[in-house]
Amino acid sequence: MQKTGWLIGALWLLASGCQQEQASRPLLFWCSNNAAEITFAREFTDRWQRTRPDKPLRYQPIPEGQSSEEIILASVVGKTTPDIYANMWQGSVEMYAKAGVLVPLDTISGFMSFLRARCDTAVIREITSSDGHIYQVPWKVNPIMTLCNTRQVKGPGLQPPPYTYSSYLNAGQRLKKDVNQDGYTDQWLGYTEVKVIWYQRFFNFYPLYLAASNGAPLIKNNRAAFNNRHAVGVFRFLQQLYRNGYFSKERLSATRDPFLDQRIATSFTGPWQVGFLEKYKDTSLQYDTWPMPVPDTHTGPAYTYGDPKNIVIFNTCPDPTAAWAFIKTLVDKPGDLRLMELTGQFPNRLNVDTDPYFQPFLQKNPKLIPFARQSRYIRGVDNSEVIVEVFDIISQEYEACVVYDRKTPEAAIRDAAEAVDVLLRSEPANE
Amino acid sequence: MKKQIPYWLVSPYLLYFAVFVAFPVAFSVVLTFHSWNIISPMTFVGLDNYRRLFSDRLFWQAIYNTLRFLLVHIPLQIVVALALAEFLNQKIRGQAFFRGAFFLPVIVSGVVVTILWQQLLGFNAGILNRGLTALSLPRVAWLEEPGIAMYAIALMATWKNVGLYVILFLVGLQTVPVQYYEAADMEGATAWQKFRYITLPMINPTIFMVVVLSTIGGFSLFIEPYIMTEGGPLNSTLSAVMYIYKQAFQYYHMGYSATLGFFFALLILGVVAIQKRYVEQEN
Repeated sequence: MQKTGWLIGALWLLASGCQQEQASRPLLFWCSNNAAEITFAREFTDRWQRTRPDKPLRYQPIPEGQSSEEIILASVVGKTTPDIYANMWQGSVEMYAKAGVLVPLDTISGFMSFLRARCDTAVIREITSSDGHIYQVPWKVNPIMTLCNTRQVKGPGLQPPPYTYSSYLNAGQRLKKDVNQDGYTDQWLGYTEVKVIWYQRFFNFYPLYLAASNGAPLIKNNRAAFNNRHAVGVFRFLQQLYRNGYFSKERLSATRDPFLDQRIATSFTGPWQVGFLEKYKDTSLQYDTWPMPVPDTHTGPAYTYGDPKNIVIFNTCPDPTAAWAFIKTLVDKPGDLRLMELTGQFPNRLNVDTDPYFQPFLQKNPKLIPFARQSRYIRGVDNSEVIVEVFDIISQEYEACVVYDRKTPEAAIRDAAEAVDVLLRSEPANE
Repeated sequence: MKKQIPYWLVSPYLLYFAVFVAFPVAFSVVLTFHSWNIISPMTFVGLDNYRRLFSDRLFWQAIYNTLRFLLVHIPLQIVVALALAEFLNQKIRGQAFFRGAFFLPVIVSGVVVTILWQQLLGFNAGILNRGLTALSLPRVAWLEEPGIAMYAIALMATWKNVGLYVILFLVGLQTVPVQYYEAADMEGATAWQKFRYITLPMINPTIFMVVVLSTIGGFSLFIEPYIMTEGGPLNSTLSAVMYIYKQAFQYYHMGYSATLGFFFALLILGVVAIQKRYVEQEN
């Protein structure tokens, strides 16, 4: 009996020791594992350590894996989550929010006033979870736009960008070439991955759909909202590009960058491409950026996909208030400017293009100005736990209709919308 | 104490078996009756996952694709491996070199081989199509044409694995008593007759083993379509294992994925049992 008492006492001491250690340990901040963002994380962690030695914090690049989403999931399952994670894809947040592993940030004092000052109501609506809480800090965006080889696209008989569907198709007709005269096209208007994997639709269908529809959602009131003329028009437009051979069906991504090589004249891409091109391009390549092509009758701004990545606090965090205080240093104006300087990515905040604070940076990097302007007209993804499956369903129909011409755009969009409705109806029973 | 020694000796394996085989299998069976996305608690759904399986068009297409792959891959593998084994069974110069060369792809990483073949099979820049162009023949969309892509993958998988089966056949061929061939020679048998009536029956157990191994290996087709085509074009290379993987790690449908895996394991068991019965009858 006495032995049992000693054992219980020892276990209690061990457990309370562990708890104490948990409460006093440094906060752990996971950043993305590319060199620029590691530098960003290091700088801000060092500064925090100097100003707040009472709240120790260390950074760590997210462990290497096939995707950061996979690593985060593994860490949630293994209960080894960091306290703060910067670079969370907006589409993943809902699943974690429903699983109860994230801190509802709107319960932290001062968060909502900060958010209202930083973002417009559309962004706030987009990041509000189905339970009414907000679990993410809008951090950075990378608007998808049309990068054009200006020497090629301003040739005779070509209408210069920005493009409508007609002018883009006309450019395709004129720019498609068989340079080495072997009977096969080796120069195209553009290229987007034909792979059926869901996230590839962020670089073709989805930004074009947002542009055509002035930023309409794919899902509304738990039903598919994309069975409309905009989505059908986008499928038809892309189908024509492939049917006429203006876009290559072969995977060009396994070879040297085709835009850099001037084998394609345009590319749907984000601001990260500017840094890459500036580093590797030769003098003959001149380029500029315009919004995504829009239907001929389109009026108003061309929205696009902003690829938003946000910051979250996991509920394993022993001190969410300190974590929030640290996050605020990443997303204040100096933090956002440093993000731009180090990574070439844009903060998800109002008026980046006109705010005098960011003007010197933009003047020094004029190739990024179109992206800054575009950041006024961006959308993320709909807040749904099954958003990956929604994009996968669209991808299946995209491949059948756009790439292989096996379905009409109307049938493909209708079938996709029906499948999404079935999926959304079964969502509660659907894991 | 002495009586306990055997148990202690087998206990490491038993522990391994319990943790890495028995528990996962039992857990998978439990999962088939649940809905679970890894991070939320499991929900009991009864036979819903099984009902869903039978109406899942994409799963049946994946099964069909896998069978299509096997129908090309297994015969091709047996014919090529047997031909190469016969070749290596002769007294030829550089025998050791050829044995090593044929076996080399087996030990090279599957991912590396797949990426290499992806380059070889490229429509515009691939070496195969360059060769066809040089011969004034039309290029083939090896990986872009839905009717061809799976066969291109079967060709690649055969190249990758054939070395292993060459070794197995070689062992089988070397166990055939040479006196049988001598007797056949005295009777004036042709090379084909010797192969048909002596070699083939004598290596029947090896053929069965090769068929079973390549069936199981073929059913687990994953790396090649995952890297080369991601299941496309038009799901024509979506293998059953790849679909199970997608359900588990892309959509986090752990319960449904376990159901598919369980059903698929039973299917493999059934096919192998049929093969075994057939070979036994033949014998």
